[in-house]
Amino acid sequence: MSTAASFAPLVAATGKAVNLSMQRLWLTGQVLPAGARLVVQHLFQSEEDKTIEVIYSFPLPRDAALRRFRITGEGFEAHSELKETEAAVKAYEEGMSRGSLSTLARQYGDGLVNLTVGNIRPKETVTVHLEVLCGVELRDDGFRFRFPFTLAPAYHSRAKTAVTAPAEGEMELPADEFGDMILPRFREDASVLHQVGFELSIVSQLGLDEIGSPSHAVRVRQDGGRSARVALADEKDVPNRDLVLDTRFKSVEPQVLAGRSKDGSGRFAAIVPSSSFGVATEAPRRVVILLDRSGSMQGEPISQARKAIEACLGVLSETDSFGLVAFDNEVLRFQPVLVSGTREFRDKAHEFLKQVDARGGTELARGFLEAVKLLEGRGGDILILTDGQVSGTGKILADARSAGVRLHCLGIGSASQDRFLALLARETGGVSRFVTPRERVDLSAVDLFASVGRPVASGLKAGASIQPEPPSFVYSGTPVILFGEAGETGESQIELSWHGGRLNLPVKSSESDIGETVWLLQGSRLITDWESRYPSSEALAPLEKRKQSRVASRLLALSQTYRLASREMSLVAVVTRPGDRPGELPETRVVPVGMAQDTVFGAYFLNQTFTGGISAMCPPAASLVTSVMAERAFAMDSFSSASTADSSASTAEPEGAPSAGLFQKLFSRPKAPGKRHQQVPRAVEVSAGKARSSQTAEDILLDLASRMDSDGGMPGKNRESRASATVIALLAFLSQGHTDTRGAFRSHVGRLVSFLKSLTSLPSHQQQIVDAVIELAYRGTAPAGEWITLAHTPGNHWYEVERSVLNA
Amino acid sequence: MSHSKTLAELSEESRIPARTIRFYIARGLLDGPVKAGRGAVYTAEHLARLEKIKDLQAEGRMLAEIAHDLNGGPSVQTAVPPSPWWQHVIQDDVIVWVRGDVSPWRMKQIRAAVDDMASRLREPESSNARRNRK
Repeated sequence: MSTAASFAPLVAATGKAVNLSMQRLWLTGQVLPAGARLVVQHLFQSEEDKTIEVIYSFPLPRDAALRRFRITGEGFEAHSELKETEAAVKAYEEGMSRGSLSTLARQYGDGLVNLTVGNIRPKETVTVHLEVLCGVELRDDGFRFRFPFTLAPAYHSRAKTAVTAPAEGEMELPADEFGDMILPRFREDASVLHQVGFELSIVSQLGLDEIGSPSHAVRVRQDGGRSARVALADEKDVPNRDLVLDTRFKSVEPQVLAGRSKDGSGRFAAIVPSSSFGVATEAPRRVVILLDRSGSMQGEPISQARKAIEACLGVLSETDSFGLVAFDNEVLRFQPVLVSGTREFRDKAHEFLKQVDARGGTELARGFLEAVKLLEGRGGDILILTDGQVSGTGKILADARSAGVRLHCLGIGSASQDRFLALLARETGGVSRFVTPRERVDLSAVDLFASVGRPVASGLKAGASIQPEPPSFVYSGTPVILFGEAGETGESQIELSWHGGRLNLPVKSSESDIGETVWLLQGSRLITDWESRYPSSEALAPLEKRKQSRVASRLLALSQTYRLASREMSLVAVVTRPGDRPGELPETRVVPVGMAQDTVFGAYFLNQTFTGGISAMCPPAASLVTSVMAERAFAMDSFSSASTADSSASTAEPEGAPSAGLFQKLFSRPKAPGKRHQQVPRAVEVSAGKARSSQTAEDILLDLASRMDSDGGMPGKNRESRASATVIALLAFLSQGHTDTRGAFRSHVGRLVSFLKSLTSLPSHQQQIVDAVIELAYRGTAPAGEWITLAHTPGNHWYEVERSVLNA
Repeated sequence: MSHSKTLAELSEESRIPARTIRFYIARGLLDGPVKAGRGAVYTAEHLARLEKIKDLQAEGRMLAEIAHDLNGGPSVQTAVPPSPWWQHVIQDDVIVWVRGDVSPWRMKQIRAAVDDMASRLREPESSNARRNRK
């Protein structure tokens, strides 16, 4: 037995060795606030006695494009060529027929890629080093980098699914939209699949404050304050979730990354925080919240989403109007028209939300078209809470663009649809966030909602050298990123203007190779934008017809300019070696992937083995179950959730990871029964003797937020008790770091302060306390005190406030 | 062998990419070439089989299902369309069958009843008797 074989993984159920065609996927590279330049190593090691062809499928991260690959093995090294897709496929097939080692990286719709390596010889090891450019999710005070280590199944009304082996499912997407793309098999247990890991460097112009990961245990080594190395803390991990890395800067200010690209031109990427544009207006909001209640949202995501919506509604005043729509493959409306944000309608919304359970498919387009109808063509915003697990996104994006409303997306998922949701928001003038189900979905929703409907700037314009064009709207908390050319000297000014404001940023070129990187990032962003405008019917049309397509021509030109792959151009390499055997037919292997962590296998694949061994699904006539998703596969509801195996059980918890401080506070979430979770410190625990002992401070703040009245105050029997409750609630928010300009509850804090300011003719000592608390709110601090506990304890608390506040 | 074709020719005639044809062969949907190695060739039977696969796909069949049928498994295309059923093996001597495509709400209800039944059958007889007396 060879060494490799002796360490081969085994299938737990049968004890048989797993014959993997891809053993390892390792991510390296550099992550900047403007995006990442990555190299993904795919190690293919054949233990077979015959020649094989291996197909690995993966989704692109947000704003991503493939640049090139290098293929290495014993005695050879070759580099890819970028060719028009038809020519690349032809070159690949010619190489295959000659018996040569051939590799093709080809992109399909929805940002899916097939990496195919053919004619790997028996017992041979081949490594493909694939260079990928991708974007990051920016926030004023940092950024989130997300890389997909697996491919999640996604809803399509014409997709078909089957269970082909125990806990293994297969999905087929319609060929008229996805061509000859081959999807992998989805395994419920990812522990017997290939290893994944990463070692990345993070570089920023601003000092780095914190780096953490809500998805993996990481080791962080800071190098001098502005750069760091981040690596997987364990030796290896399993491919069942995205890598998510959060980086927070020490300060919030504009950054300009500039340098020369290889052609000698000055290139830059500027990141301008929203705070540079001013503050949000107090204009009345017209907003529809759109809740995805598809089967894949079942469990904690839907429950958190419901709570989040109630907390979001808590910030509305009577001058705001709102609507609520829940969708799966059916659409359910709260009211046929927008209603005022009064207590009465919010209470009714609460009753409506109680009926919303996860079920059915993800007909996102139908959901938002219903939401658009509610806005009656008079403008407004839609906030979507979804896992985004949907295929055929080109059509949805086209519908969204033509709808003429701003879409803001909160994505929830372990495996990414970040690319799609980022596009959906950006193409309609909104913003998007993507969280993992193990974070606080509710807090992220509240944070996003704080900026919805109230941009801090609009009508943004920049110089002609900026591409793509700057966004039409800027929202609090989300910076603007601009890519451009700095001219031959490499030094220039970025001139930004918007309605009511103007800003000049100097560009100073550095000696590093950052110019080349930002140039490539600009290309990958432009290609992603144009890809999203490519109708499926056009993308799969014959070459001659496609040449007439505006999108195809633009994509081809962009690919040629930036030397990046797209659906029009693919990467190919053929290695001719002695001993090649022309005409020999290799055996094709498709690399299976792990089901995304927290996604119920039964939500997509009907077959389910229940814990306790009491049942197994099989039809009387055959061992195979197939289904069309729209009809059946999503009809499982929470029925199968009891059997969800936590496939990450073999992975280490990230206790050893550095504290992510505020990130963890903001994005932590309570532990769900039966699941292993990252150990997130609870900011404040209510005393154990009380019934609500399991609630965190954030839970209590969410509860306070959802109970606020439409005038911004807390409810109470009379004016004085309302004033007392509002003062305590405000101190509770302040004590947890939320002010009227900072934190997820910033809108709520603003409303509480407004209410307190509107109070007159309180008894003088109470008025004195109220004034002192308003002053504290402006300073963004709270004196020491059990404010969270008091906020959740009935009764007036003037005495406790007086003692702490007036003595502070 | 006048009607023999190379893989490229088979691909062109069937309008199915060569990679997909290799994938079908690996999945057992299609036989391998009639001759291995340098002179590997395909015949009209291969082309006919590919056409058959396309037809079945157009009818909404999945590859897994097609492979199952073409390789001699019981045909799914029977007079009565198949429907999925859940088999709950509650005890060695008790099996409950439940239709798999009922509504989620109904399924929840049935599942609760089956769980209850399983739990009662697992309990010692004496506790069942006590429960019946209450």
